[in-house]
Amino acid sequence: MTQPTPVLSLTNIHKAFDGVIAIQDFSLDLFPGEIVALVGDNGAGKSTLIKMISGVYSPTSGTVALDGEKVSFADASSARNRGIEVVYQDLALADQQPVFMNMFLGRELTKPPFGLLDKERMRRESQALVDELDVRIPSASSTIRDLSGGQRQGIAIARATHWASKLILLDEPTAALGVAETARVEQLVASLRERNLAILIISHSLDQVFTLSDRICVLRRGEQIGIRKTAETDKNEIVSMITGVHK
Amino acid sequence: MTMAIQKLKSFDLQQSVIYIGFVAIFLFFALTLHGDGFLTSRNLTNIVLQTAPATIMAVGLVFALSAGEIDLSFGSVVAVSSLSAAVAMQHFPMAVGILAGLGAGAGIGAFNGVMVAYVRLPSFLVTLATMGLFAGIARSMTDLRSIPVLNETFTGIFGSGKLFTVPSLVFWTAVVVGLGHLVYRNTRFGAHVLAVGDNARAAQVSGISVARVRLYVLTLCGSCAGLAGLLYAGRLQAAKYTLGESDLMTVIAAVIVGGTALNGGKGSIIGALLGSLMMGMLNNGLILMGLAVSDQMIVRGLIILLAVAISLRDTSR
Amino acid sequence: MTILTQTLRGAAFLALITSPALAETTGPGGETATPSAQVTVSDALVAKVQEGGHKAALLWHDQSDFVNAVTAGASDEFARLGVEVVAVTSAGFDAAKQRSDIETAMTRQPDIILSLPLDPVTSAAAFQEAKEAGVALSFLSNLPSGYEYPQDYAAIVTDDLFQMGKQAADALAASMGGAGTVGWIYHDASYYVTNQRDNAFKATIENDYPEISIVAEQGISDPARAEDIANAMLLKNPDLGGIYVTWAGPAEGVLAALRANGNATTKIVTLDLSEPVALDMVRGGNVAAIVADEAYELGRAMAASAVLDLLGEDVPPFVVAPAVTVTADTVVEGWKRSLNTAPPTSLVSQ
Repeated sequence: MTQPTPVLSLTNIHKAFDGVIAIQDFSLDLFPGEIVALVGDNGAGKSTLIKMISGVYSPTSGTVALDGEKVSFADASSARNRGIEVVYQDLALADQQPVFMNMFLGRELTKPPFGLLDKERMRRESQALVDELDVRIPSASSTIRDLSGGQRQGIAIARATHWASKLILLDEPTAALGVAETARVEQLVASLRERNLAILIISHSLDQVFTLSDRICVLRRGEQIGIRKTAETDKNEIVSMITGVHK
Repeated sequence: MTMAIQKLKSFDLQQSVIYIGFVAIFLFFALTLHGDGFLTSRNLTNIVLQTAPATIMAVGLVFALSAGEIDLSFGSVVAVSSLSAAVAMQHFPMAVGILAGLGAGAGIGAFNGVMVAYVRLPSFLVTLATMGLFAGIARSMTDLRSIPVLNETFTGIFGSGKLFTVPSLVFWTAVVVGLGHLVYRNTRFGAHVLAVGDNARAAQVSGISVARVRLYVLTLCGSCAGLAGLLYAGRLQAAKYTLGESDLMTVIAAVIVGGTALNGGKGSIIGALLGSLMMGMLNNGLILMGLAVSDQMIVRGLIILLAVAISLRDTSR
Repeated sequence: MTILTQTLRGAAFLALITSPALAETTGPGGETATPSAQVTVSDALVAKVQEGGHKAALLWHDQSDFVNAVTAGASDEFARLGVEVVAVTSAGFDAAKQRSDIETAMTRQPDIILSLPLDPVTSAAAFQEAKEAGVALSFLSNLPSGYEYPQDYAAIVTDDLFQMGKQAADALAASMGGAGTVGWIYHDASYYVTNQRDNAFKATIENDYPEISIVAEQGISDPARAEDIANAMLLKNPDLGGIYVTWAGPAEGVLAALRANGNATTKIVTLDLSEPVALDMVRGGNVAAIVADEAYELGRAMAASAVLDLLGEDVPPFVVAPAVTVTADTVVEGWKRSLNTAPPTSLVSQ
């Protein structure tokens, strides 16, 4: 079996803030159609890592490569332009706007000759997308605040899916959701595998991690403890890697 | 499900309060004052003419409020703009006067915008300060003197003139409201304004430059007030430091009654137009009813309170 | 204070001309003043007016007890003459609002408009439509620039400012027995109304009362500083017989200074009705008299002049309403004549 080129390749990443080390010597390859979980205690450096991948921070040293090509993002927009999307745990949606405007937030479609908004097309494409992903909402014209938490997270993920050509970063996507809604969102995330995107998910729920992921990467105090194939490990091992306590 | 229906109902009421209120007040005056000239085309035209500057300021304010900002300084901008134009026209051609008036408005708006967007001060405090600052500057510009505007082309364009058969103030109102509505509802800028006012962080992570949107809405607000200043100067054929002084509350009330949220993310230009016309209609009708001045104020206050209460009920839940 | 500020802000622009020494209030074109008592609609004419079914609009600059009294005076006169008041407005000192008020009132097609034009410059265009429609315009204190008598307006009616200052001098002199020393606290600002009244006081003392001398002169621009100013004045002139204070607001401060010094002998005279100042007067304190304008009479005269103009009768171009001197004994009458109301209860229960 020949290894395909990784979508994202992190090699020997270091990040320090004013001399305080946040991440040291982190390396990870993400492949298309793969879900990798990033786990670790609070303060382990998961968010810092996500922010480096999404262009908010740049690493102090080490390389980031997309499709084998070394990149350096100036800001979040340039990462987004390269096909990297982030889904935040606190739902970065504009509550009083309709679904379709959120789907195209910051990237609204316009039509000639005056460059006015093409609301019809945005509505149509949004509807097609939520239907395709089976995000059950009344319509693409619904206002966000009339939707449930699960529906909203569904919209956020659908939006990321629409725009991501390479990689989706999910930062605690179900932290604010109830049991049934969590299950819906997990189904949705699992279905993204078929779209040949790489997915990096941060989660505190080991159940979720074991349900969804193909591989698990463990961080502890900025240090990469290890990467395991989900099928070849168990919760005990991951917990001891997270905590550093060997039972 | 019941909750959803209730939500739907209150949402509908909130959206339509201005339409219902506008029609109700119109019908009330039409019925009670039909013998007193309320329904004459001249009186109805007068209402539009009288509210033209307030309507144009209201359009600017809808943008500012929708982006989650407020502008308290636009009344002072009106005074500075009208005086700048009037003084400039004493020495220079009309075009210079127009540029001076609009420039003063846009300049003050941009100043507010820079303070809010880049110095990162709350717009309430910035514009509270600039309201006083520019009211003072307006007073000192001409030592409290009124400046006559004698240029008849100017007073025609911005005051008493007509374009074909349309009074110029009606024309200005239509142009500003029409363009405002188009930009607000159908351009990326309008969408970004709403997004910033709704959830600035969401807008930011979606690649919208929040600071730039804030700068633009406050500049727009100042520019609208600048144009309102020119209209006042054209209408009165003079400029004075008191112009615009009493418009702040009227315009804010018109915009809120018209369905624009005080805390951003939601608004309506057409609603603001109707809100402004409703204010004008109230002033007009209550005077025609022959009420004493204090009674006019009481009735007007109660009606505005009622309308604002209905408009805000949903968003303040 | 209220009355003064209203009058001040309204009338400050009027370019009335007065010669400095012994003068009387004169009109913008040098017209001599006609006492308002001479402007009346005779009973013979009343029936003719009533037949006309005329309508009037009262378009004021602001609201105050002064404006209320003028409105009452005008409304009562209109009622007597069968003229219907169809609109009353207040512009709140907003020139644009005044313009709108005029337009709105014109919808009711009034034959008469009584108004205090906020500003000669901005009101010229504002009253244009009414002027061209031949409405009888009677103005209070102020005149739109470029308006000509008699074709453009019926009359200007105003306070007799000179008379107010003169009566203040007469009242103070009477309370001092016609002899002694006086302090003069004048309004240190370029305001036509106060300047006229202050100077009339000074001129009257200097010309009519040889045994009274003005030994201290002090300008005031901030009423809050009145107490300090009075203290300094009393320190230098401990035996002052009387003090003239430009209006009632600062007079309250001067009173406070006299009380703090235990001074019960120095008399005060001031202008415009004020409850605290009048209370000291009825209690037999330092205040000898208050001089006020007859706002109610002012309104009556405005109404009468406009009606006379409608009838084609001769109307004098410049009408002044008299001043009224209010003393402890005439509080009830004084309030009635000036504001057409009963005095505050604190003054009559003494």
